[in-house]
Amino acid sequence: MNRWLNRSVTLVLTALIGWGVWSVLHWLLLAADWQVVVSNLPLYVVGSYPVDQRWRPLLWMIALVVLIGFTLLGPRRGPLQRWLPLIWLAMAPLGLWLVAGGMMLEPVSTRDWGGFTLTLLLTFGSGLLALPIGVLLALGRRSRLPVLRLSSTAYIELMRAVPLIAVLFFGQLLIPLFLPPGLEINRVLRAVLAFAFFAAAYIAEDVRGGLQAIPPTQREAAAVLGLSEWQSLQLVVLPQALRIALPSLTNQAVGLLQNTSLMAILGLVELLGISRSLLANPVFIGRFLEVYLWLAAVYWLACTAMALLARHLELRLDPLRSDR
Amino acid sequence: MRRRSLLLQVGVSVLLLAFLALLVNNLAVNLLRTGLGLDFGWLGRPSGFALAESALPYTPSDNYLWALTIGWLNSLKVIAAGLVLATLLGVAAGAARSSSNRLLRSLAGGYVAVIRQVPLLLQLLFWYFVAFLGLPETPIGDLIQLSNQGISLLGMPLSVEFCAVLTGLTVFTGASIAEIVRGGVNAVPRGQWEAFRSLGLSEGLGFRRIVLPQALPAILPALTSQYLNLAKNSTLAIAVGYADLYAVSDTTITQTGRAIEGFLLLLISFLLLNLLISGGMAGINATVLGRMRRSR
Amino acid sequence: MTVAIRATDLVKSYTPGSRALDGVSLEVASGEVLVVMGPSGSGKSTLIRTFNGLEKLDGGELDVLGVRLDAAHEERPVCEIRRRVGMVFQQFNLFPHLSILDNITLAPVKVQKRPKVQAEQRAIELLDQMGIREQAHKFPAQLSGGQQQRVAIARALALDPEVMLFDEPTSALDPERVKEVLDAMRQLARDGMTMVVVTHELGFAREVADRVMFMDQGQVVETSDPASFFTNAREERSRRFLSQMV
Repeated sequence: MNRWLNRSVTLVLTALIGWGVWSVLHWLLLAADWQVVVSNLPLYVVGSYPVDQRWRPLLWMIALVVLIGFTLLGPRRGPLQRWLPLIWLAMAPLGLWLVAGGMMLEPVSTRDWGGFTLTLLLTFGSGLLALPIGVLLALGRRSRLPVLRLSSTAYIELMRAVPLIAVLFFGQLLIPLFLPPGLEINRVLRAVLAFAFFAAAYIAEDVRGGLQAIPPTQREAAAVLGLSEWQSLQLVVLPQALRIALPSLTNQAVGLLQNTSLMAILGLVELLGISRSLLANPVFIGRFLEVYLWLAAVYWLACTAMALLARHLELRLDPLRSDR
Repeated sequence: MRRRSLLLQVGVSVLLLAFLALLVNNLAVNLLRTGLGLDFGWLGRPSGFALAESALPYTPSDNYLWALTIGWLNSLKVIAAGLVLATLLGVAAGAARSSSNRLLRSLAGGYVAVIRQVPLLLQLLFWYFVAFLGLPETPIGDLIQLSNQGISLLGMPLSVEFCAVLTGLTVFTGASIAEIVRGGVNAVPRGQWEAFRSLGLSEGLGFRRIVLPQALPAILPALTSQYLNLAKNSTLAIAVGYADLYAVSDTTITQTGRAIEGFLLLLISFLLLNLLISGGMAGINATVLGRMRRSR
Repeated sequence: MTVAIRATDLVKSYTPGSRALDGVSLEVASGEVLVVMGPSGSGKSTLIRTFNGLEKLDGGELDVLGVRLDAAHEERPVCEIRRRVGMVFQQFNLFPHLSILDNITLAPVKVQKRPKVQAEQRAIELLDQMGIREQAHKFPAQLSGGQQQRVAIARALALDPEVMLFDEPTSALDPERVKEVLDAMRQLARDGMTMVVVTHELGFAREVADRVMFMDQGQVVETSDPASFFTNAREERSRRFLSQMV
């Protein structure tokens, strides 16, 4: 009976998969037209960035790819390995400088930023901003001071109650209202801030989980050695808590990358946004499937690369596996 | 020691208050400058926009409050249906991942791996523009009639937008639920599987009656947060033109310019929605745990 | 003879109505080894945890190396005491994310601001003294319990403390690992370290202790030299405890 059921399940699934593969092949060979992807590759990568300056975002992306390759496949030891985290941190300001210009480079207005470059900039920028805010919020929520504890808790819970699209939309509308008159910030920066404020609440909860996993005896041991509370936090508790939180922080980072696509609804031409404007072009009318498959592949690759990098970091930080 | 912490407390409070005061002051200055004050009177004025679908009668001459209520009901409709379908899909996929059939197992694994690494918004656009708008114009099927004008399920008409949002939310959330179910199931000792197999129970029956009940206490809390995510994600409906709460708020704010009031209303609506879901789940949790304790 | 620790009428209660310490007074002389024994819940761990401010007092007065502590004390004296008093815990409490060497050099470098090279040299010496020099670059999870506890002792010694507190240092160890830790402590006592040791190891107490203090229900039942304590304890409660231990 069981074996019979097993076989029929296999049979039905094989038939289904066969049908699926056949229709995909049929579509690929007879119906699909990849012009919409192939002829617009530069747009997907850099958006409407000035043609003579395109080497700048491209250079940044090549540097990123090289760095990913070096991190994953490079030697496990060596003078560069020690600096790897710092090099990674430096990629955000480097990207910002290359894309925005200034300091010897010709300035390029944020209106011309777009494509995958913008997607990456949004992810990097808001992630880097959200992490410290999230750690502070987590510490605040565990603070002995009621004012700090209550305000951190309220912030975290309220932020986690609202949908991201609302935070982004109101970020565009409201952030200028909270700034002193005369101080204006552009749409991209507003988006980065809104993403960071949103992600910080989730990061705070992940970090708090890590903090809770550290037994109080660790603080005691640090205190007995004469370490101040601040030193104990910085040298003993936080390094362990962040390591425990790393897998969930990775999920947040991958989520952040995916969520940057929401800015397409709010008028930024990041990867999804530029595709939507391409699909509105009469030349490419109806080529939804080609574009969506192509985008899915790009997002999937980027997210998988991120997950792999994080897994790599996790192994390197594991004291039992690293051979320092 | 105690004095110091009191001083610290006061210091932090002053800093926080100063920061808040600065923000509120900026806000007040800006609102004065643009001639807008905090006011909810506009809620009673006619909205002037039409909604593609509404559970209760609605015309553009109805007021904003009623429009927002309709949006809230539309949200509730897609969220409720999504919760049920995503749970079914998720449990099925999660169970399939621990199945003894290798093909079924890897198919479920592939589903989870692909869906979770692709943005939900992109998936929604796919379901809307490719899957549902790609249907033929004249209905096909009998009990379930499919066309790009709408879907009729046993005589019940559903809009294409609703179906796209529902499918997208179901497939996306189902993948996360599958992971949760798998995690919970893996936490049940392998001996339990061997035990029911040795008693001659079938795989399906054993999974439903023996393994799943034991996995539930670990699954339910994680499930709650997925349900809350689904509710929040339903706001992406705006991308395919489904008139949910957020879409209506968006239009309302664009028309009236009342961003702060609109944000407060949305915040309250979502707090309510979250309360509804977490409350319901807490109830389910209590019943499940209670039943398990009694049966012991 | 100078006094290292003087406790007068210490009171500590976790829950209203019951007292973990109920009027404990004692003196520990410089260079003396005091072993504290007693059934679980007798307050002996609480007692030595008050000595370096891990437990706040509810009453009474402490004088540790000339620094006063009482129920109303501020943070400052506790820091001063902790710099001069080392402690070893039952569960070792090594920092799992740091190598053995980093565990030992952390406080000397960060608290005492010693140069890193010098601190590492001293750490290696201490590890050598504990017989685990070759473990310096491993991580705590790679060591046996006995080895971890010896690292913990080295970590405390690295700050050159004047007094060492031991809170059941061998209770979490496998029986065959107990000896290596006791040997290290024995050597420390021989070198003249002032030590307060909470332990159930009768052999250690008999051989190394200058005095044995017996506690029950938050009170000191009796204090005497080990020979008379083990052969003819004065109090009935001590005799009952000893008969259960053997």
